[in-house]
Amino acid sequence: MIRLRNVSAGQDVTPAVVVTAQQCRQTPRSSLGLLVDWRVPSTTNADLGMGVVGIMSADSAGIARSGQLEPSPEETLVESNVGEQTPAVESKVEDQTSVTEETPEERTARFERDAMPLLDQLYAAALRMTRNPADAEDLVQETYLRAYGAFDSFREGTNLRAWLYRILTNTYINGYRKRQRQPVAQPSEEITDWQLAQAAQHTSSGLRSAEMDALDRLPDTDVKEALSQLPDEFRMAVYLADVEGFAYKEIAEIMGTPIGTVMSRLHRGRKQLRDMLTGVARERGFLRDAEVAS
Amino acid sequence: MSCGKPHETNCHQVLAELWMFLDNECNRERRELLQRHLDECGPCLEEYGLEEHLKALLARKCGGDHAPDALKQRLRDSIREIMIRQAVLGAEVTVHQTEDGTIVEVSSVESHAWLSTES
Repeated sequence: MIRLRNVSAGQDVTPAVVVTAQQCRQTPRSSLGLLVDWRVPSTTNADLGMGVVGIMSADSAGIARSGQLEPSPEETLVESNVGEQTPAVESKVEDQTSVTEETPEERTARFERDAMPLLDQLYAAALRMTRNPADAEDLVQETYLRAYGAFDSFREGTNLRAWLYRILTNTYINGYRKRQRQPVAQPSEEITDWQLAQAAQHTSSGLRSAEMDALDRLPDTDVKEALSQLPDEFRMAVYLADVEGFAYKEIAEIMGTPIGTVMSRLHRGRKQLRDMLTGVARERGFLRDAEVAS
Repeated sequence: MSCGKPHETNCHQVLAELWMFLDNECNRERRELLQRHLDECGPCLEEYGLEEHLKALLARKCGGDHAPDALKQRLRDSIREIMIRQAVLGAEVTVHQTEDGTIVEVSSVESHAWLSTES
């Protein structure tokens, strides 16, 4: 009656049971030790509209997980299970009765279409927050899974990017930071030296164009490193404003603070950053003390 | 940091608002006022130039990282997994291990009962 084909292995797999998503979509329950993998050939609604889920035994799931599942050409994926109607038709009928109701398949397609393309940006932000790639990956993954879980509450047409950043920031602040692998403050000797130099010279208003030229010569890693030395809240405010180009109001929403707090964090963060960068440029020999007006 | 010339807005006030101006957060009226000041005050303009430069420097050097492909794939897999769980989990599902293999029984929350077969 039903066959699923594991394309990469070239094997047919016989699922134990096939149910339709429409018939079984209710409240979530805990995980099962059986097949939970389903690749659709494309993310168009037409394909997803099949509303078919193959449930296989744990044994065959092992085979199926590694490859793409698709119906064999000569047999439809689901037929008798849903009576006279095809799943697609049934899906349409249901859509009419509950207009705003979105099927899990539609929601998933929408999430993949809208949210997944922002992954690189979110990862870059996570990297600046956590300051190491392993933690950044974990943070982004947690963020995206939370976002997916809450995606039915996200209204299309509102600012998805800001919404995702807010989840990222909350995830980081409310839980992640506490169990971070790397200690929050880990100033290197080098940094301590800059800070001492700064304290002695008060050069914060001393940047001149010669200094800016010197800063331009700094490698990316130095600039990133300096940014990473800012306290969390300052660093995030500066990153969101200067790298991501968010407006104050958006940053306030993302960070859950009043706009005045955003401005204060930006002000202090930028000032500290400028001081630190000047220090590094001097240390690298791109800037002579004589060029620094104090 | 003042050029000593009289201005409509004093330099101190302009410098205090420089970042707002730079971040495009001023209303139009304020923006025009600050712009006029910068046009006629060299030191303030220089200060503005430096801040603008720093902002551009950060944007250029601190973004643009790409998420690893493995992360992307892992996420897609996880999302599909969750979707299927959500789709199926309204049903009663039980898994038995027998000598013949694994038996999965699924019955929907509605009246139908989907019987299992052995693997």
